[in-house]
Amino acid sequence: MNTLWVVIFGTIVIYLAYNFYAKRIDREVIQADPKRATPARMYTDGVDFMPASRNVLYGYHFKSIAAAGPIVGVITGVNLWGWSPSILWLLIGVSFIGWASDYSAIMVAVRNEGNSLSAIAHRLISPRTRTILFLFIFFYLLLIAGAFVGILAPTLGARPDVPFGIFVLALMGLLAGQMLYKMKVDLVVVTLVVVVATILAMALGPLGVNLAKAPVDWSQGPISGAIVAINKSVDTAGPLYTVVDPTNADPRIPAPGADGKRPTTATYDAATGAIKVLPSYLLWAVFLLVFSYLGANLPIWRFAQPVNYIGFWITGLVIILSALGAVLAPFLNPAVAAFKAAAFKGFLPAQPTGAFQPLWPMLFVTIACGAISGWHALFGSVGTARQLEYETDGLPVGGGAMFSENALGLLSLTAVSISGGAGGVAFASGVGRLLNVGTFGALPVGYGTALGFGAFVVIVLTVTQLIFRLMRVTLGEWLGEAWGGFKNQHVATVVSMIAATLLLLSGTWVYLWQLFGASNQLMAALSLLIVTVWLASTKRNPAFAGIPMLFMYVTTMAATLVTAYNLYVTILLRPSLSAISVWGAWAMIIVAILLFATALVIGLDGWQAYVRYRSAPPRAAPAPARARG
Amino acid sequence: MSARLSGILTVLREFAFGMTGYEFTRHAAELRASLETLFMVNTVGDMIGLPVIPPYYALRLMPYLVPQIATWRRRVLREREITEDHDLDLHGI
Repeated sequence: MNTLWVVIFGTIVIYLAYNFYAKRIDREVIQADPKRATPARMYTDGVDFMPASRNVLYGYHFKSIAAAGPIVGVITGVNLWGWSPSILWLLIGVSFIGWASDYSAIMVAVRNEGNSLSAIAHRLISPRTRTILFLFIFFYLLLIAGAFVGILAPTLGARPDVPFGIFVLALMGLLAGQMLYKMKVDLVVVTLVVVVATILAMALGPLGVNLAKAPVDWSQGPISGAIVAINKSVDTAGPLYTVVDPTNADPRIPAPGADGKRPTTATYDAATGAIKVLPSYLLWAVFLLVFSYLGANLPIWRFAQPVNYIGFWITGLVIILSALGAVLAPFLNPAVAAFKAAAFKGFLPAQPTGAFQPLWPMLFVTIACGAISGWHALFGSVGTARQLEYETDGLPVGGGAMFSENALGLLSLTAVSISGGAGGVAFASGVGRLLNVGTFGALPVGYGTALGFGAFVVIVLTVTQLIFRLMRVTLGEWLGEAWGGFKNQHVATVVSMIAATLLLLSGTWVYLWQLFGASNQLMAALSLLIVTVWLASTKRNPAFAGIPMLFMYVTTMAATLVTAYNLYVTILLRPSLSAISVWGAWAMIIVAILLFATALVIGLDGWQAYVRYRSAPPRAAPAPARARG
Repeated sequence: MSARLSGILTVLREFAFGMTGYEFTRHAAELRASLETLFMVNTVGDMIGLPVIPPYYALRLMPYLVPQIATWRRRVLREREITEDHDLDLHGI
């Protein structure tokens, strides 16, 4: 297997799925009609409801849905089960489930006057479905915040060349906000200044270090050396406590060497499997939390939006050049193009500590975004659906953006598979090699890898700040009535960060990620359930949404049970583990049980609504409103 | 051929705008709408049940406000959820 085959398979599958399946559903089931007035045209208000060109919307929707999810999930999936089941799930998932979820969520909102999915669920299924959806959102945010900080903190600790670029990114974000909104500088000029400055800062990180020598001596460089000195000075006290990751997926655990054994490092004891929680780990976690605090509390134009904009350019450039490298590698450098990761590790890969990681259902929640994501449906229904000028734009925008995100997932899979390692290291290393090929050797592999690490941190961190922003809004909205303190944005942010940090410190990163995946996929199942009930209520064939909904529903229910079982067997039954691991495990088990129970309620309500609409006599459809002009 | 090329360039330009500047355009529209809403509530708030200034002054300003009244009422009276008010926060997760 090599990178070219991924490009060929991906192109063929996406072409067939879009042209022969998605278009048929759009034409025969949804019956998109360019003459029917969309909410954007009926309720134009210049802000939320505003018709836009489908090309603009496609770019906007794609940028809004494609971020860290398809990268981190694929990295973990390849590590646990191998690249072949991961690529199969990515391609089959997006062809039959992913595009259908994104597209149909947009169309159901378009046909329901631009109402959000939760409002439609409230009307079509039951009032409590709306409440449950918000519950999902809260746990989703909590879990993903812990998982993202958990993967970034060790990366910053292990790569002293990266933090400087992130620091400059924050400064440039502030500058970009000021230039754009206060000084009214042209966007092109702002982009040139801040993006070039940030890339230069990222390039300065490894300056003076011999990247070709292994292991790299980071203390050689003026900038990376300073970061190394900071790490050493805070780590003199030794580890604070130890945790154990039963699945060996924690980012602090090194990949096995040529002999198949994992080496002992500063943070990992190969003999006992213990992960040492060093003060520098906490230091970088706090650094990330401070960054996110700014993003969560400053006005959105002041920090979060411009930072994400800069991050988009950096990751976009890296992705485009890497994709070019993936296409060219089989011709220019076949050794780079060959996959080195295991193709298949079995349906039930053995875990050293008794953790249970069966391919079904766990792969399907570990790789969430890229194949299917409930978050896309949520965003599509409140954002994109209100800007569609014509109904027939729904498929190229919603479906097209999802297929494009799938391509990002495939690129991530390619990068991880050609490096053969595990975690963010494998992704960055693979990106480094692809960048080397994509730039025709102009960018050395060492610098390409450094850029890969930088881009990885940027893409995850820009999302993390938005997560905390939404968490503090959600907390204030829900619990503000119970205690007024939650309405204070700083209190709500700090409480959100403490909750996420406690989960992060418990040390079982992969369970956090898998529970996040389960909550995300449950949201996707819920959105497909809403679409199924809506199709039933309008007497149309709901199979294209109903069958994927059933699969995702059963899969995610099983996955939450498996994760709860894993937490019990591998953490709670080991009395030698630290108290924080035990408390973290209990917290995650409670979240898993809550997700399971709420999903049961949703399933019951959905089934009752489905039966009610199917047995109801057909109503005469009102004449569709026609667009003017 | 040139028309086809021009069409492709237009698509690419619009796609690039969608990925870059469109977000700022939308946010600018939201900021402007927030300011306009404040002004409208002050002047013709009685239309949505919030009489703030005496109707005499509202009527004096009415000719300038009429073009915006329909969209303003629709915007401020629509039921919203937190995901709508913070839709940028949903990006890219």
